[in-house]
Amino acid sequence: MDPLAGMDDSTTDDDNASQTTEDDPQVPDNHPPAPQPPQPAPQPVPQAPPPATSGRERPNYELRHTLRGHTQSISAVKFSPDGTLLASCAADNLVKIWSPFTGDLIRNLSGHTKGLSDIAWSTDGVYLASASDDTSVRIWNVDSGLTTKHLKGHSSFVFCVNYNTASNLLVSGGCDGDVRIWNVARGKCMKTLHAHLDYVTAVHFNRDATLIVSCALDGLIRIWNTTTGQCLKTLAEGHDAVCQHVQFSPNSKYILSTAHDSAIRLWDYHTSRCLKTYTGHRNEKFCIAACFSVTGGKWIVSGSEDQKVYIWDLQSREVVQILEGHEGVVVAVATHPQQNMIASGSIEPDLTVRIWSDRGSTC
Amino acid sequence: MNASLLNPFTVTHPTAVQTSLVSGASFARFDPTGKFVAAGRSDGSAAIWDLDTRAVIRWCEGHVKAVTSVDWSRNSRYVLTSSKDWNVIIWDLASPVDPPQRYNTIRFDAPVVSAYFHPRNSRIVLALLSTGEAYVVDSRKEHRARVELCETLSEDDDDERARSIMTTARFDPSGRHVFVGTSTGNVLVFNSRTKIMVARHRIAGAGSMKSLEFAKVGRRFATNSSDRTIRQFILPTYPSPIMGAECAVLETELEPTHRFNDPINKVSWHAMCYSPDGEWLAGGAADPATHKIYIWDISNDGQFATALDGGREPLIDIHWHPGASRLASTTNQGSVLIWHCPSPERWGAFAGGFEEADENVMYEEGESEFDIENEVELAMRKKLQEDEAVDILGGVDDLVDHKMNGVAGDPGDEDLEWADDEPDDDWQGWRLKVIMVDDDDAY
Repeated sequence: MDPLAGMDDSTTDDDNASQTTEDDPQVPDNHPPAPQPPQPAPQPVPQAPPPATSGRERPNYELRHTLRGHTQSISAVKFSPDGTLLASCAADNLVKIWSPFTGDLIRNLSGHTKGLSDIAWSTDGVYLASASDDTSVRIWNVDSGLTTKHLKGHSSFVFCVNYNTASNLLVSGGCDGDVRIWNVARGKCMKTLHAHLDYVTAVHFNRDATLIVSCALDGLIRIWNTTTGQCLKTLAEGHDAVCQHVQFSPNSKYILSTAHDSAIRLWDYHTSRCLKTYTGHRNEKFCIAACFSVTGGKWIVSGSEDQKVYIWDLQSREVVQILEGHEGVVVAVATHPQQNMIASGSIEPDLTVRIWSDRGSTC
Repeated sequence: MNASLLNPFTVTHPTAVQTSLVSGASFARFDPTGKFVAAGRSDGSAAIWDLDTRAVIRWCEGHVKAVTSVDWSRNSRYVLTSSKDWNVIIWDLASPVDPPQRYNTIRFDAPVVSAYFHPRNSRIVLALLSTGEAYVVDSRKEHRARVELCETLSEDDDDERARSIMTTARFDPSGRHVFVGTSTGNVLVFNSRTKIMVARHRIAGAGSMKSLEFAKVGRRFATNSSDRTIRQFILPTYPSPIMGAECAVLETELEPTHRFNDPINKVSWHAMCYSPDGEWLAGGAADPATHKIYIWDISNDGQFATALDGGREPLIDIHWHPGASRLASTTNQGSVLIWHCPSPERWGAFAGGFEEADENVMYEEGESEFDIENEVELAMRKKLQEDEAVDILGGVDDLVDHKMNGVAGDPGDEDLEWADDEPDDDWQGWRLKVIMVDDDDAY
């Protein structure tokens, strides 16, 4: 299962929508002729500076590193909240901790007995939670590489996990349709919401942890009151649009969802209105994450089944850059919390995590 | 921020017990964010509860006799506990250990009845001793001092009238003044900077003052006194003392705007407190057999709204949540009851695009509701709509890191400038570390 990525605050925005800008056309991506350090990474990739089509600011991301090491499909990548580390998880039962600046592998977190679907950092960056097909969630001390808590309770694969901002709560969603809320300090399940009838593919807290948003393969996005466990609202997308990833915007006023009709939508959940639709990529089969980028321009970043990473302008909904290089479906993306940096992860046969960065001075 | 989703109902006082924290407490205080509760115990410890997980996250163990009061600094970083063992301890919750590190210990020579932080600077502490003396202790480098608040007696009658015993002392919400209640039914007002008495208010018929509470908004305060009546007053304004000048003490009798009591049972009151919007006043009845909280509707001319019944264990303390319709009431068995305003489950929320109507409504067809529209035009319109800019970052203050609460009042306001001098490091963005608890099945 490949899930999602990047839900932290770090990520930001997106905008653009609709109707297609065709994918490739405008912006081919670039390749760094000579990327730096360790891994001589790059792959064959086209290269071209972004055409200065419109007067709008455009991102100018270039491949910096290619991180190899996972032996099975990568399902999620996440930057630590202080931006010094990158975690990735994959179906090979491992969480790998990397340095996003040098591309070096720092540590493996091993202990799960089946593949992993999602990871989440605590706000202080000390702990990392991982969701696995072995039906458990582990909380790791990243420094020591040891499991601090082992949360058992789900009756099926755990597909998604997230911390609240205070990092005293953890929410996880499983393939049994349940959403569980955990007391992190004690490692105990506090509440189980029988939230959906199908795989819960994403769960996310809003900023003050009063709300939880969840989405499932039954096509529904639900918003829950954290304290009472009551369902407050259900958003239904079109029939063809089974939602696979959902998260609150950094200010928690909107939610961003990705769906199998190859569209990413930004919703105002108070009015249940879809405010923006971002299209151009391909997403019909896999669970692909999207995320906000707020460190420079305001973008929406997402992977795609055509092996590329797409970047949209939050407001205008145009595709502003396409990052090429992966040789498999890109299911995971994450944005760095402080810098213009994107990490993307791909499934077989590619099996790499790639770090892209924008050194500024865009047009 | 989620008010429209979370609180669709109009009743804004709590109505039912949500949870009970068994903590052996003699009183409980919400912190200013409303996420934690500090419960003081008679064995000398204080427990910090996390309301998200309903678990104790820190034990403040340092006193050898009963804790008499706790207070939170404005951004919840520091907690102060006062005790009958003559000490006031200030705990720093930013320390990632349990029990938290002591930031300071202030020692007196009598049991401490209550202690409070200055609302603008946690380096300034007001303490009241069981001997009836109140002190302002300032631990800032430039201002280090411990000053007793002394009542200024008027010249004519100081012979026959001994200095009265102080029975309660509080800062007002701005921190400019200290209000002190006395055993003779007076409210004395001191300037917190100069520690000079600026006013003496006589409250007729009140008897000994038991406690004082201020509404956070609106210039009102309430007193609880030994005549079993809660009185509400409009807060008078006091001129800022001019340096060097001998100011006259304002001597007035304050007339309450409202009196609250129970005309039938004539119960006395253990505690009272205002809701954060100042629209409700809750009184905890000192009834030896029941757990009753009376709620008055201040916005509706002080009408009695309801009496909440919390079961058999008698009430000894109440405190209102700083931002929501929640109350914490403590029973004499040491349980802290958290009251909330429950919202009924709306099953309609489980269906997308479905709205429950309270009663049948005739459907009215919209003007062009069933017209066939050109799809291209629809797409165009949607596109236009989507061009509207959205703001995904703004509107949340905690996205901005306020290093200091440097927003002073009016520049030139000496009292506030004095308080903001040498600010504490209780800045807004600090976070309490989660400490993992090793229990039974831990690794």
